[in-house]
Amino acid sequence: MKHRAASVAKVTVPIKALLNRFALLFLILSTFAIMLLGKAEIVAVERLRSGVVDIVAPIMDGLARPISTVSAGIDRVENFFSVYEENESLREQNARLLEWHNAALALAAENSTLRKILNFVPERGTSFSAARVIGDSGGVFVRSVLINGGVASGIARGDAVISGEGLVGRVTEAGHQSARILLITDLNSRVPVVSEKRRVRAILSGDNSPAPKLAFPPPNALFTLGDRIVTSGHGGVFPAGLPIGRISSVEDGVIRVKPFTDFDQLEYVRIITEFPGEVAGQIVPSTARPSRMK
Amino acid sequence: MINTAMQRLDRSVRLMGPFVVSIILVMLSALPVYVPGYGQIAVEVGLVTVFYWAIYRPDLFPVVAAFALGLWQDILVGSPIGLHALTLLLVNWAIVSQRTFFHGKAFGVIWWSFSLVAVVAAVLSWTVVCVLNMTFISPVAVLFQTLLTIGAFPFMAWFLARVQHAILRPIDTDV
Repeated sequence: MKHRAASVAKVTVPIKALLNRFALLFLILSTFAIMLLGKAEIVAVERLRSGVVDIVAPIMDGLARPISTVSAGIDRVENFFSVYEENESLREQNARLLEWHNAALALAAENSTLRKILNFVPERGTSFSAARVIGDSGGVFVRSVLINGGVASGIARGDAVISGEGLVGRVTEAGHQSARILLITDLNSRVPVVSEKRRVRAILSGDNSPAPKLAFPPPNALFTLGDRIVTSGHGGVFPAGLPIGRISSVEDGVIRVKPFTDFDQLEYVRIITEFPGEVAGQIVPSTARPSRMK
Repeated sequence: MINTAMQRLDRSVRLMGPFVVSIILVMLSALPVYVPGYGQIAVEVGLVTVFYWAIYRPDLFPVVAAFALGLWQDILVGSPIGLHALTLLLVNWAIVSQRTFFHGKAFGVIWWSFSLVAVVAAVLSWTVVCVLNMTFISPVAVLFQTLLTIGAFPFMAWFLARVQHAILRPIDTDV
């Protein structure tokens, strides 16, 4: 009997080892297959991603809250020591902003009179949805964040995302109650932009560095340090005129833009779920707009 | 009878311990911490856990677990899906196959081996991402992340050892 068991083992052990080796090979091959499917943006892979994230989003949301409270507490203590200087600078800024406020009121009045004269038909307004950042690690290779809003709050793939300061990125995966945002600094981010004053067009192209570069500027284009860069609205994915950042360096023909948004301190973001086809004098054909799930 | 059923349940839950703890740690590592720049070079928690369990309890952390943990990390962190699945399962396989080497070795040796594994894993994933995106990516962030992960290894290993004692000791002693 013992002999028989040993002879059985003699056969089964190598088979088991072979199976184990095959399992390893099979798993390695499947990682490559998954990578290729992911790269090709196959729907099933994206469903898997957003499905899993949807399930853990509430947990991550709950865990992220105390961290942000602690972070806010530290900020408060830090601010306490610079209250006086900050007050001074805010007074100055307030005086300046009051002037702008008056200018804006005058322009708004003028604008509405002119619109009446022209019988201007107002377009649908821009609608927003707000969400909280619940995951931001992104890792070494990707610049992205997770938010706790999804299709349920009107967010769809391709929507532009902004913070108080400027453009943050766009939605690349939208689950039911969670979504992933690709930041404008990511390697795969491309945003059609225009310099605010000279109206020179280019593509803002991320390369995982903190300051994305301007690709395809027209030959002999004039970009100077400090120029404000805004979205151009071409392609219809982003509304035109969203502030992005300022040109921070022009070296060896590489122009870099420092975004206004501080990506390390992102806590809440706004998602532009709908925007008029015509913004700041630019006409975007309605067919160019991404289809929306409602 | 109920008692033994409960014991069996308790035992199987404890046996799942290493995998569940790794899953939770990877999720925690994906949370926002509001420290400038940290998000980009966050410690590779998955790598540390896979390395640790491959040395101390490979029976409870099979290659499929490493694969699943990698996929989990890719999904939560947003890295190219399959990337961590590949590196973690290769690390698991490499360490398990060299397991006898680590028996009774001083912690310094294990830390040194982890450093080598971390560097190889970093080079591998950097190469894969460069090929996937057909572009050159600055390796500086990868370098910092690897250094940070190597630096964090003793602390995480200490924590995982505590977990191992707390969860697995009761069942190891009664077997």
